Amino acid sequence: MNPCSEAAPQHDVEGDGRWNSIHNRFLSDAKGKEADVVFIGDSILQALEHTEVWNQWFAPLHCLNFSIHRDQTQNVLWRIKNGELDHVDPKVVVLHVGTNNVEHTAEQICEGILEIVRTIRDKHPNAYIVLPSLLPRGQYPNCLREKNAKINQLLFEKVNNMNKVEMVFIDKGFIQSDGTISHHDMHDYLIPTNAACRKAFEPIYDLLQQILSEGEPEKDLTPSE
Amino acid sequence: MKMVLSQRQREELNKAIADYLGSNGYTDALEAFKKEAEMTGEMDRKFGGLLEKKWTSVIRLQKKVMELESKLSEAQKEFMEGAPTRGKRTPAEWIPRPPEKFCLTGHRATITKVIFHPVFSLMVSSSEDATIRVWEFESGVYERTLKGHTDSVQDIAFDHHGKLLVSCSADMSIKLWDFNQTFECIKTMHGHEHNVSSVAFSPSGDVVYSASRDKTIKAWDVATGYCVKTFKGHREWVRMVRVSADGALLASCSNDQTVRIWNTDTNTNECKMELREHEHVVECVAWAPEAAAAAINEAAGGDNRRASHLGPFLASGSRDKTVKIWDVGTGVCVATLVGHDNWVRGAAWHPGGRFLLTASDDKTLRVWDVAHTRCLKTLYAHQHFATSLDFHRSLPYVISGSVDLTVKVWECR
Repeated sequence: MNPCSEAAPQHDVEGDGRWNSIHNRFLSDAKGKEADVVFIGDSILQALEHTEVWNQWFAPLHCLNFSIHRDQTQNVLWRIKNGELDHVDPKVVVLHVGTNNVEHTAEQICEGILEIVRTIRDKHPNAYIVLPSLLPRGQYPNCLREKNAKINQLLFEKVNNMNKVEMVFIDKGFIQSDGTISHHDMHDYLIPTNAACRKAFEPIYDLLQQILSEGEPEKDLTPSE
Repeated sequence: MKMVLSQRQREELNKAIADYLGSNGYTDALEAFKKEAEMTGEMDRKFGGLLEKKWTSVIRLQKKVMELESKLSEAQKEFMEGAPTRGKRTPAEWIPRPPEKFCLTGHRATITKVIFHPVFSLMVSSSEDATIRVWEFESGVYERTLKGHTDSVQDIAFDHHGKLLVSCSADMSIKLWDFNQTFECIKTMHGHEHNVSSVAFSPSGDVVYSASRDKTIKAWDVATGYCVKTFKGHREWVRMVRVSADGALLASCSNDQTVRIWNTDTNTNECKMELREHEHVVECVAWAPEAAAAAINEAAGGDNRRASHLGPFLASGSRDKTVKIWDVGTGVCVATLVGHDNWVRGAAWHPGGRFLLTASDDKTLRVWDVAHTRCLKTLYAHQHFATSLDFHRSLPYVISGSVDLTVKVWECR
């Protein structure tokens, strides 16, 4: 049995029930608000919501962000199976999860992500699913960084030929020539800063714009003289 | 436009194409291309992803250029033509001008609606924080908060005296508030089976109409609080309902992409007319004042002097980014206003009838010159989606509300 693809809620280790509260809030947001884009996932996407980049690029596209700090693949899967995507009709779902599955192997995590992709596909047959690649982590080279790179590679091989699933590599440009990651990019060597989000999520923004404007008449963008 | 590349640019383009072919695994094409273009040696790293980068950045830059150009022409116009001074402004011509007179904060969540009081110099805002706030718009002073709803307040409306305020909410209830003395909730009406998105008073003040996500529109007797009629026909969430000036007609709009017109006084509760031309959810409707007939006829292109469209007229704003003006007498769309860059959420007519104002998720308010179907002025009004606006009936003020939690007061000149 693969723990990454068996839906499970996050353990309430701190005892304040926050994870459940957040899940319930997402359920009510899903019912009341109509979003064209739903972000769902872990710490990385949750941090994105509190950046300038979010306000500047993503908020105008009519987005909801259902991401929870420290979530692992099985937690996101549980949330989706328990209604978070049932009352929305998004054109695009952006999924980023896996970096917090520290105890699991690359193969298990990749399978977990694929299970989430299949679950989203069942609920929303026509939505695009966009998968930003996992970012590298840790100030110095370490086994989690290598594992994330491996997950990216495994996942790309699996989803490359899937219809309406787009994997976007956003992990370039963070590892410096000496092999370290700067705290200017990731203040805790895991979560991207505002500047890093600008770098990492620009291709996602471009892709969303293209997907959302599909079907609209193309504007003549030749510069006026 | 003929494009000529210098030799150096051509070489760079070739290298970028080669990089694109290589990094996407088109190895045969790459070999053939390299041979034909006579390229030798290793690829420089600076060409990595260059073609894709150019491909996307050109579009982004040109979008930016268009934005800047329109801002510049706006600024030029303001500079060349200027605006009338306070002393010279006239009620038929005045329009809101930046900067805002007041930026009012206090709500803790998205502002859903802003309206003027019909008599006093008060305005009211409703919010997703479940409260209603009352402000004095000439001084910008906060007056009070009305609490009672337990979920987002979606819409508010005054009766013609301004003695009663009606509000509706995602908590599925409709509330009447005494605005004469106590500012207390005097009645709560239940009956809708889902989020109530809009409310409106009949001109007489006897009836309240409400629209809901349960796909119906209901009429409520104000005196008793009973639901006296249910209008069915929309196939999705009804977003807004508005009553015509004579009280005979209702206009509603919906996620089913239609605008519908209903008779209020007959025994039938069937839809009188369906206006179907928007290509996305229709967010708002606004009945035109009688003074707008001349401008609308000019917009419709009738070059004979005789007004060919008799009205009544209605404006509708949609997520398809357009605003449409309809002749409800005949059911024809007589004009389409294009310019907003995102969902259109609110519409209000200038009391003089020549202009229509709209609020949009592109964060702007726009003033439309109706006769010429063009955008006369764009106000970069808010930091986030502009959700609602209202034009004062007689004083030179416009108010707007936004997802950025602010309510703004704009003075007209």
